[in-house]
Amino acid sequence: MQEIKDMICPFCGCLCDDITLEIEAGKIVSTDNCCTIGNAKFLGKNRLKNPIKKIDGTWTDITYEEAVDTAVEMLLDADRPLLFGWSGTHGEAQCVGVHMNEILGGVIDNTTSVCHGPSILAIQEVGHPGCTLGQVKNRADLIIYWGCNPIEAHPRHMSRYTTYADGYFLDNAFRNRKVIVVDVRETETAKVADEFIRIKPGGDYAVLSSLRAILRGKSDMIPDSVAGVSKTQLMQVADMCKTCSFGALFFGVGLTMAKGKYKNVRNAIEFVDDLNRHTKFTLTPMRGHWNVYGANEVMAWMTGYPYAVDFCRGVAFYNPGETTAIDILARKECDACMIVASDPAAHFPRACVEQLRDIPLVVIDPFETMTTTIADLQIPVAVTGIDAEGTAYRMDGIPIKVKKAMDSDYPSDTEILTRIYNKMLEVKGL
Amino acid sequence: MKTLLIKNAFVIDPIQHISGETMDIAVRNGKIVDDVKNPDEVIDAQGMLTLPGGIDSHTHICGTKVNFGRYMSPEDMRAGRTSRKGDMHATAGYSVPTTYGNSYRYSRMGYTTLLEGAMAPMEARHTHEEFRYTPMQDCLANTLFDGNWFALQAIQDGDTKRLAGILAWYLSAAKGFGVKLTNPGGTEAWGFGKDVSCINDPIPNFDITPLEIIVKMIEANEMLNLPHSVHLHCNNLGKPGNYMCTLDTYDAIPDINDKRQSLYSTHVQFHSYGGSSWNDFCSKAEDIARSVNDKPHIVIDTGQVMFGKTTTMTADGPMEFNLYRLYHNKWSNHDIEMETGSGIIPVVYRKKNLVNAIMWAIGLELALLVDDPWRCILATDNPNGAPFVKYPEVMALLMSKEYRDKEFETLHKSTGRRVALPAIERELTWDEIAVMTRSAQARALGLIDYGKGYLSEGAEADIAIYPIDVDSTDPARDYERIINGFSTTEYTIKRGEVVCRRGTCTLEGNHSTYWVKPHVSPAYDMSKDAAFIDGFNRYYSIRRANYPVGEEYLGRNVCMETEASI
Amino acid sequence: MMKVILEVKERHKPNLPIEAECITPKNFLDPEREFHVWKGNKELDITDIFHVRKDGTAKSAEQVEITIRGDSSHIKRVGEYMDGGKILIEGDIGMHCGNFMSAGLIEINGNADSWLGREMHGGKILCHGDAMDYAGSGYRGEKQGMRGGLIEIMGDAGDFAGETMAGGEIIIHGNAGDMPGVDIKDGRLTIMGDCSRPCGNMSGGECRIFGTAYDMLPTFRNEGLTAIDSVQITRFSGDYMSRGLGTIYVANCKYMD
Repeated sequence: MQEIKDMICPFCGCLCDDITLEIEAGKIVSTDNCCTIGNAKFLGKNRLKNPIKKIDGTWTDITYEEAVDTAVEMLLDADRPLLFGWSGTHGEAQCVGVHMNEILGGVIDNTTSVCHGPSILAIQEVGHPGCTLGQVKNRADLIIYWGCNPIEAHPRHMSRYTTYADGYFLDNAFRNRKVIVVDVRETETAKVADEFIRIKPGGDYAVLSSLRAILRGKSDMIPDSVAGVSKTQLMQVADMCKTCSFGALFFGVGLTMAKGKYKNVRNAIEFVDDLNRHTKFTLTPMRGHWNVYGANEVMAWMTGYPYAVDFCRGVAFYNPGETTAIDILARKECDACMIVASDPAAHFPRACVEQLRDIPLVVIDPFETMTTTIADLQIPVAVTGIDAEGTAYRMDGIPIKVKKAMDSDYPSDTEILTRIYNKMLEVKGL
Repeated sequence: MKTLLIKNAFVIDPIQHISGETMDIAVRNGKIVDDVKNPDEVIDAQGMLTLPGGIDSHTHICGTKVNFGRYMSPEDMRAGRTSRKGDMHATAGYSVPTTYGNSYRYSRMGYTTLLEGAMAPMEARHTHEEFRYTPMQDCLANTLFDGNWFALQAIQDGDTKRLAGILAWYLSAAKGFGVKLTNPGGTEAWGFGKDVSCINDPIPNFDITPLEIIVKMIEANEMLNLPHSVHLHCNNLGKPGNYMCTLDTYDAIPDINDKRQSLYSTHVQFHSYGGSSWNDFCSKAEDIARSVNDKPHIVIDTGQVMFGKTTTMTADGPMEFNLYRLYHNKWSNHDIEMETGSGIIPVVYRKKNLVNAIMWAIGLELALLVDDPWRCILATDNPNGAPFVKYPEVMALLMSKEYRDKEFETLHKSTGRRVALPAIERELTWDEIAVMTRSAQARALGLIDYGKGYLSEGAEADIAIYPIDVDSTDPARDYERIINGFSTTEYTIKRGEVVCRRGTCTLEGNHSTYWVKPHVSPAYDMSKDAAFIDGFNRYYSIRRANYPVGEEYLGRNVCMETEASI
Repeated sequence: MMKVILEVKERHKPNLPIEAECITPKNFLDPEREFHVWKGNKELDITDIFHVRKDGTAKSAEQVEITIRGDSSHIKRVGEYMDGGKILIEGDIGMHCGNFMSAGLIEINGNADSWLGREMHGGKILCHGDAMDYAGSGYRGEKQGMRGGLIEIMGDAGDFAGETMAGGEIIIHGNAGDMPGVDIKDGRLTIMGDCSRPCGNMSGGECRIFGTAYDMLPTFRNEGLTAIDSVQITRFSGDYMSRGLGTIYVANCKYMD
């Protein structure tokens, strides 16, 4: 039995880095400090043994070499290939993906387009007053969770960074820190909040607007109730925000995917901007996939844009709503697809999944997933954080090296993508 | 063993006291040698100005803050988009280009070494990841300590040796190069939305002042025998009347290194403002230049502003918030726990805006009024004052009074009453421009010992060959030729290989990262210090074990080992 | 006069978008000009996608009239940077029709896809059918959308019509979707039918809604009744979450309380 400490959990955007793994006979047998979701990932099963290709409707085992050749052929044949996923792999592999897309002339997009894409669009309009999570832990005496439910989606967020995390200026966080939860239903997180604001679905924008008007001294015009929230409560919350010494607003897909999408987020950002005239306030999107933020970072320095980048015409073009995977698939605007470390068949609308089924589809993923069932080729790889290593970016932009716990015979995403890329260069004579 | 011979080059190499001699340069295996027989490649540089490769000693090109500038600015990416062609990858962006965009454009201007001006150690891994995709230049990173809790605590305890030990640990862990202070104390105060006004303002929650931080950091820096001095972004950036704060800071700087400066004061244009508000805002460049002229232990860079769109980005979080309140443009802020802050806003500098016009004049005044070009470095604090692609225009302005006057005519009419520029006759010489764009940087950064900044035997073969015939060019008149000539080299050579030819780059530039590793005695080795480790794991949000950047992030690199006196 | 007829050929993969920003009246003045369009990552000659017929001659863009026939619903960027003349689209048109247009007329008999007249400066776009999202809007990260000219939509408009509008006029004869005129700074937006949540963060300009505004935002101040063209209408000022310098006229409104 071998014990490894300070390992990084490759599940959610918290990237907890204090995990202890116990390894026996080349297998992880138990974890310590992990949440239940992370634990399940470390102990995950269903790994595909070798590359498989669908020939006349049935799966056939093939070699890695054959798999690489097949993938190259499928992608080079296309007029508008789509390379999607990326949030579940390390940055080094994402870099190879961007280079590949340059010579393919395709569209490269990451899962941002179905979670915090609207947050990025809003940030591109008004910026982002943020900070690292340790800054919140050490200083924040007011936390707002808006449209997110960390107890279920980011189980250790509250214990590592907010409600239960003692910090330098808060030696008894649970008592000294106030927590406000804003949501359309009373979630588990709402139950532990000091203040719960229940909003009618689609009412976020109006509530944020009202809070901003109150901050500007226009409370006289606010009606008794806005989207289910009483004026009394709005006044009280505005006051709590104004008088705290460090406030931190976290938000999730409850805000980004509600009606109005990125304009909701923009309003939240400008609410925080306004609060900075009174006190210190920051805002952080609760990023879901462990390295979705890394995908944004990599694509920003490599292409200039954080997601949804269309290289069809050689130069990068970016226009979410047009160059985002979900829109391209729903409109049937691509004719081949490669999915890396993501399972769109489990999450995408039906029209998108149908398009994926109808075009040549390569999947690079360690596990058999819903997307496997509609693929033409799947290449299994090592799991970053278990038998592969690489860089990931936490939800607050902190870069962390995700280490491996053991070696295996599987190639990493970087290795397999590099082989595909090199083969493409060879075929294209570059 | 690849060999190269550059024949008939018109060489200016101030470090070697070569001022315009026609000579051959031989290169073997990436280094300059005395002679090569049967060279693999011959370049005829007849009639071409040949300089050591350009060095930018203060630029923002890689890392979390720069990348956030890209992330938040799709409008900036509409300019400068190129597709993959030959060996060149796709690029995009103007003021915050992609890493390839930065690297290719710098290379085209003959720059072979770049110092990223502000890296938060906690986010160092990100900077190094981007360095890897900046293939045409060697890269170094200044490491931020302005609000580092362990450092502030050591200063408060009066323990300068412990401070040095802390700097040593962080520099090695972050694979950083120099000690950078950005608005010392101010970034910590910004943790609760406050700022400090100048060097004697006490810092909230710590019983010390910015002045104590600056002086103790300089002492600690020298205990470590680092190649570079402390690199300071003064308090109070960008505020009317801040020149007094800058002068007071300079007066307090000890002279404790006989080999180079004790302080590198960066983007001084932003710290040379007179007046009590924007209404009576004026230049105090003369006062600042006089102070610098009196203090041989201080080196500055100018932080020139040029007109047009750009993006401001700095670790100085509170300053960016002030800019946001002034411009109401989009604003990003990113505090880094226990270390520092940062902020970004896009700006447009306009000729018809009086304040902007004065800022433009101040940068030029500094460059013309500081007597010794070795102590006044040309930089725009890219992209804060302007994107670096404006450097050739800055050079032309400094070399031609006629060009300055012509530009001055187009500015806000009241500019003349607030600045000294129109009365300054000085026109910088070729030699002075060479000093201010590479030699002075090599000396100030301590890179001469590492073979940078000169072209004699043993030096790194980093060479810029410009299509400028010095004998037939009068810079005072032919300023257009200066701009064009310095914009695109005939050849840029990096470690002995042509990496850019008339603007077209080859893919692999043989990049390396330079970083420091000071050796300290066990008593000051923080990796074994229980209080440090305990405080670290308690207050950071990542484990100390996961903090240091591994060498696998560096690829080819030069570890600059030093023996500390502690 | 020059008449150009572009008839879309039948395509093997009809949904793959074609980018055809070369289709502007001015470009047809040069008889030597080659016309390239893009199908995904393939650059093609215009004749690979269209049957092209040119009759007559022209000395200026104003004398050129282009007709687009057939299934043009996936042809993007038609009339981008157009500065005079006329484009008639007999059917539907793809995204970004009339981007940056500064003069001339684009007439669409069918429906228009999203980003119709994005960042338009002048000229007129007349769409007889519906327009999808972002008619007359801006580009990602930019502060200003449409700055001049007129977009008239006879049918309905999608969401975010006139987003970040900074000048010119948009008239929607049917209904508009969610958040028309959001972040509007200047110009005039008229909606003859219904919409929801008009003009959030309005900092200038004018919006007129002759139907019902659902989920009206609470941060606009009711300034009383007035009349436009003898229609009784309520005037609001706002948006008071920011500086409140804009005006909305609304015939009926409902709040989400």
